Amino acid sequence: MTTLVSATSPAASHATTSAPRVVNVLRLHLTNKFTTLGLPLLILSFIFGVNYVIWLLIYTSTPGGDREAVQGTQYSGSIAYVFIYMAIIAVQVVLRTFPFALGFSVTRRDFALGTALLFGVLSLIYSAILTAMSYLENATDGWGLGGHMFSTVWYGTGSLGERFSQEFFGLLFFFFVGAAISTVYLRWRAIGQTVLWGAIVLIGVAAMALITLTNSWASVGQWFVDAGPYGVAAWSLVITAAAALFGFLILRRATPVA
Amino acid sequence: MIEDGRPIFVQIAEQIENDIIDGTLPEEGQVPSTNEFAAFHRINPATAGKGVNVLVENGTLYKKRGIGMFVSPGARERLLVARRDEFEKQYLRPLIAEAAKLGITRDQIAKLLQKDEV
Amino acid sequence: MSVVEISNLTKRFGSVLAVDDVTLSFEPDVIHGLLGRNGAGKTTLMQLLTGQDFATSGTVSVFGATPVENAHVMKHICFIKESQKYPEDFRVKHVFKNAPLFFENWDAAFADKLIGEFRLPLGRRIKKLSRGQLSALGVIVGLASRAPLTFFDEPYLGLDAVARQLFYDRLLEDFAEHPRTVILSTHLIDEVQNLLEHVIVINEGRILVDSDAEELRGSATTVAGTARAVDAFTAGRTVLSRQGLGSLAQATVTRLSAEDRSAAAAAGLDIAPVSLQQLVVSLSGDADTAAAAASSATTVSRKGQER
Repeated sequence: MTTLVSATSPAASHATTSAPRVVNVLRLHLTNKFTTLGLPLLILSFIFGVNYVIWLLIYTSTPGGDREAVQGTQYSGSIAYVFIYMAIIAVQVVLRTFPFALGFSVTRRDFALGTALLFGVLSLIYSAILTAMSYLENATDGWGLGGHMFSTVWYGTGSLGERFSQEFFGLLFFFFVGAAISTVYLRWRAIGQTVLWGAIVLIGVAAMALITLTNSWASVGQWFVDAGPYGVAAWSLVITAAAALFGFLILRRATPVA
Repeated sequence: MIEDGRPIFVQIAEQIENDIIDGTLPEEGQVPSTNEFAAFHRINPATAGKGVNVLVENGTLYKKRGIGMFVSPGARERLLVARRDEFEKQYLRPLIAEAAKLGITRDQIAKLLQKDEV
Repeated sequence: MSVVEISNLTKRFGSVLAVDDVTLSFEPDVIHGLLGRNGAGKTTLMQLLTGQDFATSGTVSVFGATPVENAHVMKHICFIKESQKYPEDFRVKHVFKNAPLFFENWDAAFADKLIGEFRLPLGRRIKKLSRGQLSALGVIVGLASRAPLTFFDEPYLGLDAVARQLFYDRLLEDFAEHPRTVILSTHLIDEVQNLLEHVIVINEGRILVDSDAEELRGSATTVAGTARAVDAFTAGRTVLSRQGLGSLAQATVTRLSAEDRSAAAAAGLDIAPVSLQQLVVSLSGDADTAAAAASSATTVSRKGQER
C-alpha cells in the first residue's frame, strides 16, 4: 500500500509537527551558549563599563561632584546596541543553523517553531536581566553617579509589568525582524536582500514624504507621546507578528541549494 | 579475488566449490556465514547470500536452522563429476583453438603433454 | 513495499532540467548505487527525496508519504551531503551532541569507535577541518545514525584510500548487522561496485540504467581485433562504444552468449569483460544510443536470468 501525496505543494501535504523535535531544535540552537548568551552579556557589560567611565569623567570634572550634570545621560540610547545585537543573533541563528537542521532531517516548520521558541526563551532571560538592572539603577541612584543606561526617559520606567513587557516586546521585535530579513536571504540570496532593502528605503521615503506633504509630523509626534513608551512597545508586536508570519511563509519554501 | 565482468554470486559459489574440492571445506564441515563472506571479499551481503543459496539449492550445502551452513555428504564427489564434464569445454577446447592458431598439430600437443609428465 | 516511490518527477532550474521525468523506486534493505557524472542530477534527485528541495512536477513518496515537511517521514531519513553546511561556531563534538536528538537509532558507542578509527579531532572547529576530515564527519554521522533510509552523496571527497576502505568495510559490517536502505551516490564506481546490490545510472537528469548489480555485471563485453573483424562481428548488435586505431578497433557490445563468444574467438577477436565503471562511462558518453542500449542490456540480462 502506497499513498502518493503531492510533493509539489506543501499546502496540500499533510504537514506534521513533532513536539519533541521542536524542543530539540531549541536545544540545537543552544548548543553553543556563548553565542546566544555569553557574548551578548559580554557586550552588555562592555557598554556598561564604557558608560560608567563616561559618568565618572563627567562626575569628577564637575566641581563638587555634580549629579545633575550626569542626569543628562537620561537621554542615553546606548542600550540600543544590545537590542540591535539581538537582531544580529537572529540572523546568525537562521542563516547558519537552517541548512544544518535541514541536513539533520528537521522540517522547516519544526525549525521555525523551535527558533521562535528560542527567541521567546532568550527574550524572557534578557528582559529579566534588563528589568533587574533598571531597578538596580534606580535604587543606587544611577550607580552612585546619577548615570542612566537601563532606565532613561523613554525606557525602563514605570511599573514592573510595564518595564518587563517593554523589554520583552522590544527584544522579540529585534529577534523576529532580524530572522525575517535572513529568511529573505535564504530564499532569494543577495538579489532578495537588495530588493528588500530597496523596498524598505522606498517605503520609508514615501512615508516621510507623505507625512511632510500632509504636514502631519506634529500628529505623528503626538501619537508617540500619547502611546507612551509602553504603548509603542505594545504596538511593535504588530510588526513582530507580521515579521514572524512572513518569515515563516518565506522559510517554508527555502532550500539549502545555493 | 573478485574479478570484473562476471556476476559476483557465481564467483562466490565457485570459490566455495573449489574449497570443497581441494578439501579446505570438508564434508559436514561448517561454511563461513554470509556476512563473513561479505566482509572478507568486501561485497554486498545479499550478493554473498545469493552465491551461498545457489549451492544450497543444488544440494552442495545444507542449512542447520539457527546454526549455519554445512557441506553436504557426497558433495565433493558430485562436484568432481561435474567439473570433469566441464574440463573439456573449459580447458581443452580453448587449448586446441589456440594451438590451431599457432599451427601446432594435435600430435605435437600430445607430445608436449607427455614431455610435461616426465 | 518500496521505501521510495518516484513517479514522473521533474525538477527544472530555469532552463535546465536537472531531473527529467524520472520514475523509479528503491527497495527496502538494499544498498543502491546512484551513479553518473558530475552534474548528472544525482544531488538534485536526493534533495527532492529528502524534502530539501521542491519538485517542479511529479510525485515522491517515502515510507508511503511525502517527505516534504513531514516530520514522521523525515525522522527516518539521514542525508549525508558533500556540501553540508554547519553552524559557524560549531566544533566536531557539537555535531555528535546534536545527532542523537534527531536520529532516533543513533548509536553513540559506534560513533565513538568510528571517531577513533577516522582520527577525527573532536575539539576542532568545523571550519578548520580538512576536506577529508569533513567527509569523515559526514560518514560517521551517516553510519551511526542507522537511519532506515540513509543517503550518502559523494561521501569520500578528500578521504585517502585507507579511510575510504574503512568506510566501505564499516558500511558493509554495519549493514549486515542492521540492514537498511542505503543510497550511495558516487563517481568512484570501481571502488564501490562490489558493495552495491542495485545500480541506477543517471545522465542529464534521466535514468539510463535501473538494474540489479549482478545482472549488470557481464551485461557488456569489449571485443578487440582488426577493424574489419570487429565491424563484421558487431554488425546487427547494439554497440555501446567503439574506438579505432588504424586497422585495429575495439567495441563494447551488450551481453554475449556462449555461442557469441566462441564465434568472436573463432573470428580472431579478443574478448574482455567490461567493469561497471567502463559500462557507465560508455553509457554516459553518448546519451541517445546509450538509452537504447541500456534498455536492451537489461532486457537481455533478464532473459539470461530466466534461463
